[in-house]
Amino acid sequence: MTATSQAPAAVELVRVRKEFGSAVGVADVSLKIGQGEFLTLLGPSGCGKSTLLGMIAGFLTPTAGKIVVDGVDITEVEPYRRDIGMVFQSYALFPHMNVFDNIAFGLRMRKLPKAEIAAEVRRVIEMMKLDGFAERRVSQLSGGQQQRVALARAIVIRPKVLLLDEPLSALDKNLRAQMQVELSELHRKTGLTTIFVTHDQGEALSLSDRIVVMNRGEVQQVARPIELYRTPANGFVASFIGEINALPVARYERDGREAALVLPGVGRLAAPARDDGLIHGSAVRAFLRPEHVRPALPDEAGPNIVSGVVAAHIYQGSHTITRVEVDGLGLIETRVTGADIVGAHPVGAPIALMLDLGEAVLLATP
Amino acid sequence: MIQRRPFFLIFLAPAVVTAVILAAALFEVLQYSVREFVPGSLNVGGFTLENFTRINRPIYWWVLLDTFYISLLTAVFSLLLSYPVAFALVRARRDWVRSLLVSLSITPLFTGEIVRTFSWMLMLGSDGFINSLLRKLSLIEMPLQIMYTRLGVVVALVQFSMPVMIILLATAISHVDRDCEKAAANLGASPGAVFWRITLPLTLPGILSGIVVVFAWTMSAFSTPQLIGGGKVLMISNLVYLQGFSVLNLPFAATLSLIALIAALGSLVLMKSLTGRLEKRLAVR
Repeated sequence: MTATSQAPAAVELVRVRKEFGSAVGVADVSLKIGQGEFLTLLGPSGCGKSTLLGMIAGFLTPTAGKIVVDGVDITEVEPYRRDIGMVFQSYALFPHMNVFDNIAFGLRMRKLPKAEIAAEVRRVIEMMKLDGFAERRVSQLSGGQQQRVALARAIVIRPKVLLLDEPLSALDKNLRAQMQVELSELHRKTGLTTIFVTHDQGEALSLSDRIVVMNRGEVQQVARPIELYRTPANGFVASFIGEINALPVARYERDGREAALVLPGVGRLAAPARDDGLIHGSAVRAFLRPEHVRPALPDEAGPNIVSGVVAAHIYQGSHTITRVEVDGLGLIETRVTGADIVGAHPVGAPIALMLDLGEAVLLATP
Repeated sequence: MIQRRPFFLIFLAPAVVTAVILAAALFEVLQYSVREFVPGSLNVGGFTLENFTRINRPIYWWVLLDTFYISLLTAVFSLLLSYPVAFALVRARRDWVRSLLVSLSITPLFTGEIVRTFSWMLMLGSDGFINSLLRKLSLIEMPLQIMYTRLGVVVALVQFSMPVMIILLATAISHVDRDCEKAAANLGASPGAVFWRITLPLTLPGILSGIVVVFAWTMSAFSTPQLIGGGKVLMISNLVYLQGFSVLNLPFAATLSLIALIAALGSLVLMKSLTGRLEKRLAVR
């Protein structure tokens, strides 16, 4: 699909399945991860993303399926023989060792000569901007520094794959933004194949080459961030990635180059006539991002102008999110730059909205 | 502080009463230890330091040394036997295994010291369980002498102290961050290396406090060495008992008690400073 996925796979998951008793944690996931790719597993808690990561690291044994790294089936290999680096959500730094010993641990387990260990540790200490901290105890470090030690410890062994299990979730907002940049730089510098687990779609969109959206143990969609945002494969992905207005189920009518959505109580809305396989007369749902809804101009007319009443304004500084109760459509969110809308359309006042359905995602409903 | 918490003094009262009584008792022991022994009488004579000069005889030093030795041996063996039990107790996957181990290791606490010691006498005697079994299996011809030996005393004391040791170790083991063990495995540590380099160092505080508690506890053991040692293994409490209740030399018994107390406190302070230094060096917590 993309350039990276055509490269030889660094990691390949073949129908990997994990059951916990009668519950299915991960349901037959197949995935190819390219050499040097930054892949994100994204989904709500309990979607199976951490379980999948645990199986790649070797802490969990799949119920079925196999895991191949660099062409070698490692499904049955013990975790300590896998050469896969991992950063834990809790960092899991060894509290009884200083920074140097924490980072050196993996190299010592590989029985490298002392001088080589010292040189390698110094290299990553410099790379992770931890100069001067080698002798510190980990309890004396800030959250961001601990994070860097955890990363340094994982990359110093030159792993075949780097696994990151929600590594940013314990940091405060500013630090998280900074660490996102650092993670991105680190990935560029090391070129390590990276699998990143998060429930934060912002992190996923900004860091990833590709994103795997998971829900209830199943892969919902695998796509590049932009594709994922623009063309979600289903309702779950559409509502999980970014904000989106889900319009009620409508009847799809198509006549040559013209298409329309017929909504009971609203009427006909002009829809994009894309070649997306939708059948005339079938039931569809339209998903429309708030940035594709705007207040209609005073004398604007057209099929996609609907009227409603302002329910709330959420002022966000650079933009304002306004919730409008539209007859027949329910609450519709619009997102406009600045704060003019707050004065022009106070809460409770009528407002006309222009729905830019050309940008909408239309999905057939089952 | 007192105004804000009007019940403070009332709540403190029982502690004060206990402390005063304890101090008074200790003072009595101190007072007795510097009194003259009047043979044939429970009344004591005038002030003297003779009791303390009498201490300075090899037999008493040996008993004191033996008490240290037995206590240390007990603490070490108790640790070695309790660690696997505590580990299994915390880490067992199945609930029933854990419940079984908890009840097995805690139950001995609810049987008295005499009952437990008596059971051990039945086990260790010449016609006891162990000797009968070994003879039935034709492994030995003559019964092994376990009763009235240091070995017998240590065996019983180890079993006596294991519940406490297990509780202390289990607490420490349950506090080990499993992610640290996973991280170590992820970095290439085999299960053995994970244990030696991560789990064991992280449970060191529990190990040290277990040793200190069991050591101090065993220092004051009485009925176990009395019954199983049968006068052939003397610990300091048995010596006190002998002097106080057989010879009826209360002043000398008081002196021995004082020495025992000082020895126990001294060794505790020593151990605390040693373990403190060790913990600091390993930087656990």
